[in-house]
Amino acid sequence: MKRSYRGVMLLSLILFLNIICTQYTVNFYFYEKYTLTIIFAAINVILFPCAVYIYRREVKVNGR
Amino acid sequence: MEQDNNQSTTNNKIPFDEDNYTHNIHKDNERSLDRRGFMKTMVGAAGLFAISTLPWGALAGKELLGLKSKVYEKKKIVDVSLLKVGDAAEFSYPSEHESALLIRLSEHEYKAYQNACTHLKCPVFWSRDDEQMVCPCHHGFFDPKTGAPTAGPPQRPLPEIVITIEGNVIYATGVKRYEA
Repeated sequence: MKRSYRGVMLLSLILFLNIICTQYTVNFYFYEKYTLTIIFAAINVILFPCAVYIYRREVKVNGR
Repeated sequence: MEQDNNQSTTNNKIPFDEDNYTHNIHKDNERSLDRRGFMKTMVGAAGLFAISTLPWGALAGKELLGLKSKVYEKKKIVDVSLLKVGDAAEFSYPSEHESALLIRLSEHEYKAYQNACTHLKCPVFWSRDDEQMVCPCHHGFFDPKTGAPTAGPPQRPLPEIVITIEGNVIYATGVKRYEA
């Protein structure tokens, strides 16, 4: 059995981006920069389908 | 026994086929986490983050669409003749629970700030001898000309209140938006 940790790495990266975007969303909200708040919130939402896509692709080792 | 358990969940195939979100949750080995279980956790966490930012986006959208600049009431602070140069007057603005400080820096220079310290909300007072605003709780200092913190724990400036002088009376007319 061959293990691929690419999915683990990519999903960790997604979660890292999630944390950064959440932080920026909250900060920009309190600094009253509402357009940037919406942009970062949107990125955060879009990251979820990306994570699902990566999971579905990477759960099958060797792409089979 | 353990092998049986493994076989029943992995249906003897490597990689095993499964289409659910809880394959790694068993009473036995409940603390073990395989690669696939870890990835499921990460996807779930991404979903949580996505949902948690929705209210912030909604609030920001509401703010953008509706009340672009908040409307503040005009409120009398104090008579010019009662405030000597170098003195400060306490008042509250915009609501009675938000205390504020008006400082007369020179003959024609007045500055007003909401005086809740930006560190932990202690009331900041005007120190005439030091010519700066002091937070007694943790020795935070603010520049009276700009409201910017000059020493101590606070990192953000005090919110400035817009004032107008009509005749002999000083009025508060608004609170400046945060610029950072």
